[in-house]
Amino acid sequence: MAGTWQPDFEQLVDEHQSMVFSVALRMTGDYGLAEEIAQDVFLELDRHLRSIENPLHALLWLRRVAMNRSADALRRRRVRGISVEIDETHGARGEERISPLADRVERLLATVPEPQRAALVLRYQEDLTPEEIAVTLGAPLATVKSHLQRGLKLLRAKAAIHLKEYVRGA
Amino acid sequence: MDDLESMAEFERELQTALARRPAPPHLKRKIMERRRQHAGRSPRMIWMERLAASLILAAVFGGAAFWRHQVEQRRGEEATQQVFTALRIANHALEQMNAQLAEHNRDAQ
Repeated sequence: MAGTWQPDFEQLVDEHQSMVFSVALRMTGDYGLAEEIAQDVFLELDRHLRSIENPLHALLWLRRVAMNRSADALRRRRVRGISVEIDETHGARGEERISPLADRVERLLATVPEPQRAALVLRYQEDLTPEEIAVTLGAPLATVKSHLQRGLKLLRAKAAIHLKEYVRGA
Repeated sequence: MDDLESMAEFERELQTALARRPAPPHLKRKIMERRRQHAGRSPRMIWMERLAASLILAAVFGGAAFWRHQVEQRRGEEATQQVFTALRIANHALEQMNAQLAEHNRDAQ
C-alpha cells in the first residue's frame, strides 16, 4: 500500500483543511491562532509526507497532530498567563457565516476543561467513537469515556442556562 | 421527555452545531506559500544557517563566560589589594605604637 499510494500535498490540504482548522479553532477558541496552527500542521505533514502510507493514515495523522499542536498552543498560553476565552470576533472573521447556535455552542465549549473539550470535539465534530478518541489522544478508554460523560453533562448544564432558546434537549 | 431522551436530543443538536467549519479562504494559499519558501532553501543552505546560528550562540556564550571570568579576576585582585592595604595600615600603626613605647621606656629610664 505504501508503495502504490502517492500522497499529493495540495490535495491533502484541500481535503483536510476544514477538519484541521475546526479542531484547532474549537480547542483554542481563537480564530487567528487556529489559522496558525493549521498552517503549522500542514507544513509538518509536508516534512513527514514520505511516512504517510495511505489516505486514512493521512487523516488520522492530521487529526492527531492538530490536537497535539492545539494542546501545545494552549499550554504556551497558560505559561504566558493568557486565559482561554473566545474573543468578540469569534466566528465572525472571514467570509463565512455560522449559525448563532453554532457560535454560542463554540463559546460554551471554550469554557469546558481542556481534556473534556478535546473528547467532545472529537466525538461530536469528528464523529469518532470513544475507542477512536482514545487512540487519537493516546489516553485510556476509561478516561476518555469519563471525559465525554463529564464534558457532556457540563456543557448541557451550561446550555440549559445560556442557550435555552435554541437547545431543546438542554 | 425523560433524561435519556433529552440527552440524546442534546447530543444530536451538539453534533449539528459542531459540524466542521470551512477553513479561511486564504488558508491554503498561505500554506502553499510557506511550503514554497521552505522548499526554496537547499539542504546546504539550511546547514549553513544552522552552523552560523551555532557559531553565534557559541560566541555569545563564550563571550559571556570570558567576561564573567574577567570580572571575577578583577574582584579577586581588588580584594587582595584591600587586604594588603589593611595590612600596611596595621603595620604602620604597630610601628607607631612601638616607637611610642620605645620613647616611653627611654623617658622612664
